[in-house]
Amino acid sequence: MKKKLNLAPVFFVGPHVILFAVFVLLPTIYGIYASFTKWNLMNDPVWVGLDNYKTILFDSGSTFHTQFQNGLKNTLIFVVLSVPLLIIIPLMIAVALEHKKVKMKNLIQSILYIPGLISISAAALIWLLIFNKQLGITGNIFGSQIAWPTHQPYAWLIIIVITIWGGVGGNMIIYRASISGVAPDLYESAELDGAGAIRRFTSITLPSIRFPLIYTFVMTTAGAFNVFGQPLMMTDGGPQQSTHVLMMYIRQLAFGNGESIAGMASAMAVLLGLIILVISALQYYVMNRNAA
Amino acid sequence: MDNRPALNGQGASKKGLGISISKYISYFFLISLCLIWVIPVIFGVSTSFRSQTEVVSSGFRLFPEQWILENYVKILDNTSTAPILRWLMNSLFIATLHTFLVVVIISITGYGYSRMKFKGRDTLFFTLLGISFFPGVVNLIPSYKIIDALGWVNTSWAMIIPGLAGMGNIFLVRQFMNGIPRELDESATVDGASDFRIYASVILPLMKPILIVCGLFSFTGSWNDFLWPVIVFTDVDKMPVTAGLLLLQDIYGNYRMIGQLMGSAILAIIPTMLLFLFAQKYFVQSINLNSGIKG
Repeated sequence: MKKKLNLAPVFFVGPHVILFAVFVLLPTIYGIYASFTKWNLMNDPVWVGLDNYKTILFDSGSTFHTQFQNGLKNTLIFVVLSVPLLIIIPLMIAVALEHKKVKMKNLIQSILYIPGLISISAAALIWLLIFNKQLGITGNIFGSQIAWPTHQPYAWLIIIVITIWGGVGGNMIIYRASISGVAPDLYESAELDGAGAIRRFTSITLPSIRFPLIYTFVMTTAGAFNVFGQPLMMTDGGPQQSTHVLMMYIRQLAFGNGESIAGMASAMAVLLGLIILVISALQYYVMNRNAA
Repeated sequence: MDNRPALNGQGASKKGLGISISKYISYFFLISLCLIWVIPVIFGVSTSFRSQTEVVSSGFRLFPEQWILENYVKILDNTSTAPILRWLMNSLFIATLHTFLVVVIISITGYGYSRMKFKGRDTLFFTLLGISFFPGVVNLIPSYKIIDALGWVNTSWAMIIPGLAGMGNIFLVRQFMNGIPRELDESATVDGASDFRIYASVILPLMKPILIVCGLFSFTGSWNDFLWPVIVFTDVDKMPVTAGLLLLQDIYGNYRMIGQLMGSAILAIIPTMLLFLFAQKYFVQSINLNSGIKG
């Protein structure tokens, strides 16, 4: 009996391992390989070594170089503008919601979460109307005749607004669940010792939700580097390419009109991927060390 | 003797004052946010019930002067250039089947990684988890190539199957399952129950909350996915609604048919809203990352 090979684990874990191999592992390896090739998605990739990377990083005469630089710059602007707000606002909401005298917590939470359920393509239609200078709220109530999507810094502003509106819900739920898990007697004894609200927040709440904070910070940042839908729908990369983010260039090169330049796009994707990995690792390392 | 109650009383009233001030600050903050958050949705909904002349002429109003259904009638009639009903059905099929398969896969796989004993189990799990942290941008283009090779371009399978390979939900499920007492399945094993039996009749019923939460994430994730469908679908009839809405800006002449544009957006958000209302109560209890991973 005992010598018989136990096949049960294969039935339980096997199907997912196969899916993982086909739809995650294989494409990842192939994506890295493709970044060293000249490839148009149709024919077989032709090995060109580091050529794509050299062009993207150093050939200042090439459009790929300028596209990468511009895309990366705009992506970084988005990350720097959106991530702090996507951490701080949900944290403030969660703290306010955990106030013991505040009622209707679940209703408030639902209202703030609802935009997170709306796809970017639907949300953008609504917000573009709101920011429409003739028809929307901004034009009619505030009397502003600004053409938001086609003028800076307003183009960034509306991209950030729709991002925050749709994005706070997820982190808020994580923080709220985490804060409600903190033992109440910690707060009670701190209160007896005369610790004020700010003191209680910095010395009890923050340390207790250290892990969720690191987790959301790393995930939110990585997500922000992948930004695509908001600038595509709200500004289509404009004005003058100033909101054209890296993912938009990658998609354009690989799947846009005309000949696909998938090898070059793959190299850009690998570079973006490396940036995300390095930044995630740095965040994790620094925050974990500082908090310990 | 006289001092003590007085001091206590003073302390208590000070503390009470602090709490009520912070209560009002909290309320003010939360209610203003709620208003800002909900007004765009109300404005979108009400605009979808407005006539074009009212939208253009009457200035800003939160609610229409006259509620009309004409926009929705036109949306549903326009099956040639903007077949939104078709798109909605496509999305519904994709998201429902995807969610069902996700729940099956994650519960089975989670059982494997949490309750079964086999050599290399944890090594395998953490290796896959580590690989899955590699940013998805890199596999985007080859994923398209694989979908193409499978003949899935412009089909729902392109959106239903690849997403099943993710590790995030399996991680959550394994975490949750590790919290279920081992005695439960040990006693079932002694009684001679097979792994499949234990999975189906002991563990699965206990998994309801986490599976509902993961199911909701999968459904909304699949319903709202944008980048991937924009790449995979070129055929207007086969698209899910997110990709379809991208076309609408042009089809409805960049806000020249505003009511219909808004109506389409509203139709596209109803299903995820309904699902959220249904699954809401499972939310806060299930996602407790503190107790889950801290140790």
